[in-house]
Amino acid sequence: MSLLGIAWRTIRQRLFTSLLTSLSLALGVALVVATLITAGVVKRAFASGGGLGYNMIVGAKGSPLQLVLNSVYLISRPIENISWDFYREFLPAAERPDGMAGRYAASVQTAVPICMGDYFRGYRVIGTNAAYFDRMTTVDGGPFRFAAGVNFRDDDFFGGVLGHEVARRLGLAVGDTFSPTHGADDGAVHDPFRVTGILARTDTPVDRGVYVNMEGFFLQEGHAKPLDGESASTTPAAQAQPAGGGGRPAPLPDAQREVTAVLVTTASIPGLPAELMAMGLKQAINEGRDGQAAEPVREIRQLLDLFVRPLELLLLLVTALVVIVSAIGILVSMVGSSLERSRDVAIMRALGARRSHVLATVLIEAVLLAGAGGLAGWVLGHLLVASIGPLITTNAGVSVGVLSGAPLAELLLVPALVLLAVGAALLPAIAAYRTDVARWLQGPG
Amino acid sequence: MDRPVIELVEVRKSFVMPGGEERIDVLDIPEFRLDAGAHCALEGHSGSGKSTLLNVISGIQRADSGRVVICGTDIGSLPEPARDRVRADRLGLVFQQFNLLPGFTALENVLVAMAFGSGRADRGRATDLLSAVGLGHRLHHKPAELSVGQQQRVAVARALANRPRIVLADEPTASVDAAHQQQVIDLLRTTCTEHGVALLVVTHAPEVAGQFPHRLRLEDFNRAARTPAR
Ligand SMILES: Nc1ncnc2c1ncn2[C@@H]1O[C@H](COP(=O)(O)OP(=O)(O)OP(=O)(O)O)[C@@H](O)[C@H]1O
Ligand SMILES: [Mg+2]
Repeated sequence: MSLLGIAWRTIRQRLFTSLLTSLSLALGVALVVATLITAGVVKRAFASGGGLGYNMIVGAKGSPLQLVLNSVYLISRPIENISWDFYREFLPAAERPDGMAGRYAASVQTAVPICMGDYFRGYRVIGTNAAYFDRMTTVDGGPFRFAAGVNFRDDDFFGGVLGHEVARRLGLAVGDTFSPTHGADDGAVHDPFRVTGILARTDTPVDRGVYVNMEGFFLQEGHAKPLDGESASTTPAAQAQPAGGGGRPAPLPDAQREVTAVLVTTASIPGLPAELMAMGLKQAINEGRDGQAAEPVREIRQLLDLFVRPLELLLLLVTALVVIVSAIGILVSMVGSSLERSRDVAIMRALGARRSHVLATVLIEAVLLAGAGGLAGWVLGHLLVASIGPLITTNAGVSVGVLSGAPLAELLLVPALVLLAVGAALLPAIAAYRTDVARWLQGPG
Repeated sequence: MDRPVIELVEVRKSFVMPGGEERIDVLDIPEFRLDAGAHCALEGHSGSGKSTLLNVISGIQRADSGRVVICGTDIGSLPEPARDRVRADRLGLVFQQFNLLPGFTALENVLVAMAFGSGRADRGRATDLLSAVGLGHRLHHKPAELSVGQQQRVAVARALANRPRIVLADEPTASVDAAHQQQVIDLLRTTCTEHGVALLVVTHAPEVAGQFPHRLRLEDFNRAARTPAR
């Protein structure tokens, strides 16, 4: 029978106490692991905004953070729109009916409009044009890839592309049709759009987006801006003819159009640093009355600094407390049984065990208790995260699995706990080491 | 066979009285021997130092001075870990009560003793030893599930686990009822005879001491015990 076997027996002998000690430890660790992973996921979700295919968002005046949350993360309350004319100030001559470059065109490489406000089964619907997936890049800096199908064409008014998560969750495939609802999920049902493509997974909020041709979007009930003097309930100037119908409907007149935001990639000109160019453009826009420009990376960083960092600190504190409480738990449970232990130690020493053997069995016992509790807690924490993973995915746009996350802090947690347990067990171990054998062999007292 | 397995020469042991400078002498033994394979009963009034003598012989306590030679090794000059080793390999101990580890089965109690000795833990031998004391059918019982007499029998089996040269028993029958007292003594004597092991039994019972070929009173060779303590 090895020292390990002896330690194991001692644990079994005090099974109830041992189980309670390990359980309290496991729960603490599970709590920490689950929080660590969730915090890591939330942070990654926001940090992934750094890999956007654009560096500026232009939208209605108001909170720049809300503009970013809406446009990038597809969360927060919907925001006001900007005028079609303002949007066209970002377009080059070739894309404008008047053949003259827009006011900001020189500073802009690509400008992609987005229109928001509709939902499809809980997911945000974004009206845009083909440029979104044709000309912008995704997280890795490369072009968007399609898991199935292709991007919609600009002249296919009722074409749409689904984010990976949306297609998977709703079981939609290329060729299927879907009808967004106006405003909230219980709003009026719009005309059906046809899925032309499903995006490959990006692990960004794009996975949660439903992207439709904005020409079709404009034609939906309530989407046309009322003309001056008309009431808001006016039906669109042209009658919509959804997918499947013969012929292409007439597009909505420019006067009735508006967009929610413009995703802008600023141009880079030799000799002029891109940052300066972006700064100049932002200033110019923000001085005007038509809207505001926000830099998503800057807003995200501020958000992280403001909320996530302090949360992380708090989390670290909680982790430290849990570890300390666990160690105290081990200490208490082991010291509590030291009377029984003294007799055991005396017997073992009478059998020829050395003090170092006795010391070792107590420490091994602590390591087993802490290790088992720690590992169980680790597994429990991951299972917990996996079980609430879908919730996180829908809310943060990042998939979470059983083994997701494993930040350094988490990897260090169990070893740190074992070390601390050994530290805590030193007290009973030394008591065992010093047990007066002769006295205990005569019986307790 | 005439070389002694235990040899004490000019052994002294005193204790500091709790909370004072005053020391009381417990052992002052000019000479004590036990030959290999010899069986000896040790009597003496309470407080005469019988348990202390056994502790000094087994190396659990160290003599203040003198030589304590166990199987040719003077353990008085050895550091504690080496004394522990001698105890594990050469000696088997049986006490009045609280002999067994409560969390371990009968078999495991024997195996634990083997773990601290030089040899390997031998399940077969442990089983044989327990069968020899009539507990072949109680191998996997915990001490709480055994009678006091059965527990003492496990202790006897365990004392022989590492093939010792000496078995020391400190009042092994004091907690056992009269009917089982004889059983335990017989068991100790026959197993020790079988294995050629020297046996030193401390007892207060004259009917037990009377069965031994050698019968010693501690007061006779311990000068410190002649003036009864307190
Ligand atoms: N650790 C100790 N500290 C102080 N005095 C001690 C210690 N151990 C034993 N003594 C004293 O030494 C004397 C001898 O004790 P010991 O236990 O050896 O006697 P004993 O002969 O075994 O008695 P009994 O028959 O009652 O078991 C006693 O007076 C006891 O009080
Ligand atoms: Mg005694």
